[in-house]
Amino acid sequence: MKRSENQDQDNDVKALLNRLQGPLIRYALQITGDLESARDVVQDTFLQLCSENCAALNGHLEPWLFTVCRNRALDVRRKEDRMNPLSETTAEPNSDNPDALVSMEQTETFQSALKILETLPASQKEVIRLKFQSELSYKEISQVTGLSVTNVGFLIHAGLKTIRQTMLAQAREDSRILRRIK
Amino acid sequence: MRLDPNDPRLTAYALGELDETEQEAIERDLLHSDAAAQQTVEEIRETARLLKEDFSSEPGLKLSEPQRSSIELKLQSGKGRSLFSPSRGLYAAGTLLAAASLFLVVYLKWSDSRKSLEIAVDIERNARIIGKGGMPAPSVVHPPIQKEPNDGMSNPKQEREVPHGQVLSPASGISGIVKDASGAVISGAKVLIRPHGISHETHLTSDPSGAFHARNLPAGSFDVTVSSPGFKTFSQQVRLKANDELRLQTQLQVGEITQTVMVTAASPSLNTNASSSLSASSSHIGQSGGMGGGVFKQIHGLSAFNRRSQSMQYDSEERESFRDKGRYHQDFNTEAYDRLVDNPFLRATQNPLSTFSIDVDTAAYANLRRFLSSGALPPKDAVRIEEMVNYFAYSYAGPKNSDPFSAQVEVASAPWKPEHRLVKVGLKGREIAQDKRPPSNLVFLIDVSGSMQPPNKLPLIKRGLPLLVEKLTENDRVAIVVYAGASGLVLPSTACDHKAKVLAALENLEAGGSTNGGSGIQLAYDTAIANFIKGGTNRVILATDGDFNVGVTNQGELTRLIEEKAKSGVFLSVLGFGMGNYKDSTLEKLADKGNGNYAYVDSLQEARKVLVEEMGGTLITIAKDVKMQVEFNPALVGAYRLIGYENRILRAEDFNDDTKDAGEIGAGHTVTALYEVVPAGKEVALPGIDALKYQKLVGATRESKSGELLTLKLRYKEPDGATSKLMQFPVSDRGTGWAQASRDFKFASAVTALGMILRDSPYKGNATVGSVLELAEAGKGEDKQGYRAEFIELVRAAKQLVEGRRVTD
Repeated sequence: MKRSENQDQDNDVKALLNRLQGPLIRYALQITGDLESARDVVQDTFLQLCSENCAALNGHLEPWLFTVCRNRALDVRRKEDRMNPLSETTAEPNSDNPDALVSMEQTETFQSALKILETLPASQKEVIRLKFQSELSYKEISQVTGLSVTNVGFLIHAGLKTIRQTMLAQAREDSRILRRIK
Repeated sequence: MRLDPNDPRLTAYALGELDETEQEAIERDLLHSDAAAQQTVEEIRETARLLKEDFSSEPGLKLSEPQRSSIELKLQSGKGRSLFSPSRGLYAAGTLLAAASLFLVVYLKWSDSRKSLEIAVDIERNARIIGKGGMPAPSVVHPPIQKEPNDGMSNPKQEREVPHGQVLSPASGISGIVKDASGAVISGAKVLIRPHGISHETHLTSDPSGAFHARNLPAGSFDVTVSSPGFKTFSQQVRLKANDELRLQTQLQVGEITQTVMVTAASPSLNTNASSSLSASSSHIGQSGGMGGGVFKQIHGLSAFNRRSQSMQYDSEERESFRDKGRYHQDFNTEAYDRLVDNPFLRATQNPLSTFSIDVDTAAYANLRRFLSSGALPPKDAVRIEEMVNYFAYSYAGPKNSDPFSAQVEVASAPWKPEHRLVKVGLKGREIAQDKRPPSNLVFLIDVSGSMQPPNKLPLIKRGLPLLVEKLTENDRVAIVVYAGASGLVLPSTACDHKAKVLAALENLEAGGSTNGGSGIQLAYDTAIANFIKGGTNRVILATDGDFNVGVTNQGELTRLIEEKAKSGVFLSVLGFGMGNYKDSTLEKLADKGNGNYAYVDSLQEARKVLVEEMGGTLITIAKDVKMQVEFNPALVGAYRLIGYENRILRAEDFNDDTKDAGEIGAGHTVTALYEVVPAGKEVALPGIDALKYQKLVGATRESKSGELLTLKLRYKEPDGATSKLMQFPVSDRGTGWAQASRDFKFASAVTALGMILRDSPYKGNATVGSVLELAEAGKGEDKQGYRAEFIELVRAAKQLVEGRRVTD
């Protein structure tokens, strides 16, 4: 007695759901800024997957999921923006904030890579998450975001550099403090 | 060509994003470049690793259950064909191996200097990641030295020992937290880990947080023994795979015969990247005192360059994921429960009929007891209130006439919402004396797959089933079928005047291999049918943890098989054993479809209850397809709600449809169902429906003014019958307060209230664990077997846990 192919597919989609729901929700959250709508976006994404011809997606299923997720999330954000014209006054979670690094508190010497990431421009944040959290390749990220591969490479390079240098500066600062204590 | 450290290609190279020719070009250029470029590559890789580590420590976000079900629903109706590629491998782990310590040179100065300093835990962790100078002393006897070949990429000055040797080690580990029955940690417990066949023992002592962790163990089988003065010694055989982290939850019992062992043997995470950080953080548990098991996630979340204090400030998503304390357990095991939604209130005018199939299963209570006594709240979906209520026997009078069972109804106010009425319906099956018991033809179908090895599975079965065999007589026959990778008849049907033969066959069972439940079930039914006793008890007794992993694993196919077999007149009893990969949902469905009952056995006492004390009920079915339908009188009832039985609801028209399968009652069984009723005139917060435009509700009948609250209707078939018989009882409400109600009423409502609290039901009213305790004590009564006293103990255990849940909310 062997399992039907449909059963296999169910299991595949379920496995995919288990594996990618976290990264996808987090990705959508970056765009929508709201957890509930991020969940809805991911639900919609998987519902669409169910009605898709999976054979045709074979090999680029993950970028496909992220692309659909991204487009849905952007739709949601656009709709939200239309519906809440006053929300501009509140803090926009997605806005690029080039001054954030400068305003970072000097007293807090050690920062997690994640915290530094949060201070980066949204475009860098997005590709870095896709690269290191969702583990997509440059090429796949380019498919998802519509940026060129070179552009993706540059954004990741620039983002990593900021994170790296901030951490190194912190480490030097820390060792200086430690020496002083001694 | 010299490479500029600022060249984006360097990042692409470090991350393995270049194709071969570009990669070679960069490598060539790197040789000619200064150290800065090489260092940049290492820095980039290290940063990438830290980012990944941080990402993996972010709380996992999940879809809500309804969202998930909607996807699964769509899947079932979907038509697409699957040709998925195998899941992408990990992002090249090789680049991590190449991470040389050039980047770390910067830190060496201070990491040396820090040795003499009292440094906060997190800095020490940073040091561990930064270089070997900061590596904390291992808490185990095996030194974690793993030589890795130098990979040519790294600087010649580099230490030959890979800085993350511990992290990248292929060896496995065993860790755990030693607790007592109340969930308090035990420090100073002696832990002995002895590999089979090798005389190299590992001795550990649990630290102040009860934790122990043995690293760098080879793959293989081990005996783990935990002892502490005043407690019964805990021992457990475990099998360790390469690169596996086994986490034991060792619970020491005071002066008890049974051992409660919580083993969660699943590899805690899916990728080696995360599991390596897991073992790293586990080692940390051993180092720092005062961290209980509950903060494991938190420790896991700490990472290099990360100075979040222990009182981490969670953002809202993180808080959400910490809300459910039970989650800590759920994350790491594979127990399966189907989703359960509380029955809502229904208006008597719109839905005057409530129809459901009775249920004598008790598994949910025993399972719940297992959770509570191990110091965890059960998953909400594991709490089936009707099974909790039906675990207890109530003192209902048996039938006086020839009916197979009697019915009695009691109405009083609902303790958790005094303005509501609580209607308790009790059924009592006719008792059948031991000597009047019809001859029986039993087939033990025993799961002997590898997952059945723990002492609370096969070894418990081997001690439990003989209790039943001892009670059997020469009129009874027993056969034993086992199943694992293949299934086989261990003992052909044997009359029980040869008890020794049966007992010896049981004794010789051993666990090993995978599980093919499907063909075992087939063989067991075939054996039962071949030895069918007309007018007797013909029953397959399935003992398993329900983890069918080969053969018919499709639940639908399995239940269809059972349903098909049930038509032969052979009944099914399902005994669920063990925990960890316990498949509650599968087992309940099997028993449902197989005209059977389902009990969860977690101790020898429980085996005795199910197999000896309730032997009649378990073995002898006196009525089958028992359905209950209640018609509420809208003149007195505004709305009502059936408590529990969520997965037993039938359509009103199924009541009179004899082809619709329903539950069975065994000899001496009691079945209890509760309705919460909102009296007419009292408003209920119900989503209202607009008044109809074209018709108004037809007037009431004369009977509606009779003062009757409801009419109880029951249908059942004789065990070998095909047509159902109907019983009807009108019920009136005398307006009794719950304080004046019977003990059974109080006790059943206490059990119900606890269930609603554990399910965090929206209908729990003002029920608190404290009020449950009072109610249960008032309803305890004689309690010869001590089951109600045990419940009261459980309520006490639940009190702390539920209050803890409120704090974390």
